[in-house]
Amino acid sequence: MKLFVNARYLIVPVSSLVTILGIFLGGPLAWTGVVFFAVYTVIDTLTKDIRWRAEKDANGESFGVKQFQYLVMYIMLPVFIALQLVLAWRVFQYTSDVAIAPDSLGGVTYSSGISLVNFVGATLSAALWAGLGIIYGHELSHNRKEGFLVSRLIMALSGASHFTYAHVYNHHLDLGHESDPATAPRGRNVYAHTWLSHAGQSKFSYDLERRKLANQGKSSFSLSNRWLLGYLYSLPSIFLFVWAGGLVGLGALLVVWIIANFLLEALNFMGHYGLIRAASEPVEHRHSWDNDNIFTSWFFIEIGRQGDHHVRGETYFWELDDVGAPNYGIGYFSLFVLTLIPPLFRRYVAKLLDDWDENYASDEEVAIARQFKTVGIRS
Amino acid sequence: MFSLFKAPEARTATIIAGSHDIEFTVEPGMTLLNAALASGIDWPHKCKVGSCGTCRCQVVSGAIKPYMDFSYVLTPGQLNNGYALACQSELKSDITVRVKLRHKERQNEQS
Repeated sequence: MKLFVNARYLIVPVSSLVTILGIFLGGPLAWTGVVFFAVYTVIDTLTKDIRWRAEKDANGESFGVKQFQYLVMYIMLPVFIALQLVLAWRVFQYTSDVAIAPDSLGGVTYSSGISLVNFVGATLSAALWAGLGIIYGHELSHNRKEGFLVSRLIMALSGASHFTYAHVYNHHLDLGHESDPATAPRGRNVYAHTWLSHAGQSKFSYDLERRKLANQGKSSFSLSNRWLLGYLYSLPSIFLFVWAGGLVGLGALLVVWIIANFLLEALNFMGHYGLIRAASEPVEHRHSWDNDNIFTSWFFIEIGRQGDHHVRGETYFWELDDVGAPNYGIGYFSLFVLTLIPPLFRRYVAKLLDDWDENYASDEEVAIARQFKTVGIRS
Repeated sequence: MFSLFKAPEARTATIIAGSHDIEFTVEPGMTLLNAALASGIDWPHKCKVGSCGTCRCQVVSGAIKPYMDFSYVLTPGQLNNGYALACQSELKSDITVRVKLRHKERQNEQS
């Protein structure tokens, strides 16, 4: 049981390594990461009705092994760095017009040089899997020892190091309230949310640092400013891609960052869309949506158990459970596809939000929901 | 140096609470807040991730091992007066703290 519980969370690490291998081998295999994403969307949709709760032994203890799970999460930092390195190498090959021909490294045959089509595939593959760094950046943001720095470094690879501070000090505190940029109000689409949430969280993180440094009598323009430092952590990626391919390299990195941040904000979007928390109310299970079908739970290391996570923020992911939070009824992959088509997504959530208003919301929250309906926003 | 090789020890936390103090054990790797809650003490708390400041307490004696930089949540005055966030603190030694407990303990104290 212990082996099963711990091994089931290795879908992303293994898929990331295979994606890196695919980009390295080149040719059509550069699209491996994109194909994985498509296949996993199908699996997630097919398993939408299968749920699997956290197992416990006779003493009520989880089977999760903390040392192993943390080791895996820490190893994901060099894995995500390797993902950028292999893409940068392909950028170099593409911009240097390296001839497309079979080559060999340590007995492994790979395609030297890369076509435009496969270069696009390599960039999209790297972007999609870099975006999945969020699941580790998120979990480690709640570990205040060395894990917090690893979280910052993982997020910095996607130009989003501000996330770590904003998630803990803003999102967990202000969830469901208008002062939380990561909570999407009813009527907003995922595309607008990406920019608004990213900018709002970054501003929060800057203001947080400014206030702290002012209290300490220090200037905001120094290396003591962790908002600034977080963006400096992203500089090596910029240097690497500019060195590898000039403007093309910078363009490829920009595509990686935009897609990665889009995935990050899509998770925020799905986690709390349209849910309302009155300022006077504590954060409760009802202020988050759960996505807890079997594939989403294992792939996203239980990040879909948002209801439990936001009430027991200190709890390790493998201990999170079903707490009766409102539930979308489908997994993240399937829901993500719906969010890409805003009218479809709003139609899907309309009934769910009506149910939330009727069965979960407090009187004050119902009154706020009514204000949305008054101006024509039902979902 | 040899302390590096010593197994972590359970510590005792004492809450100064009016007429009689409340003592509880904090196991290694456990936060002060979780140890208090596990002992049935209704220590005020909300987020448990170090962002709201509800679980703050004043360390009167002893040493804690903070998980995080408290200066994002506590004021300079509170920091100078030895305040800490219980949800983000392990114990380095036995400690004595002041904290405004919720109603349940106050009732117990009076009974």
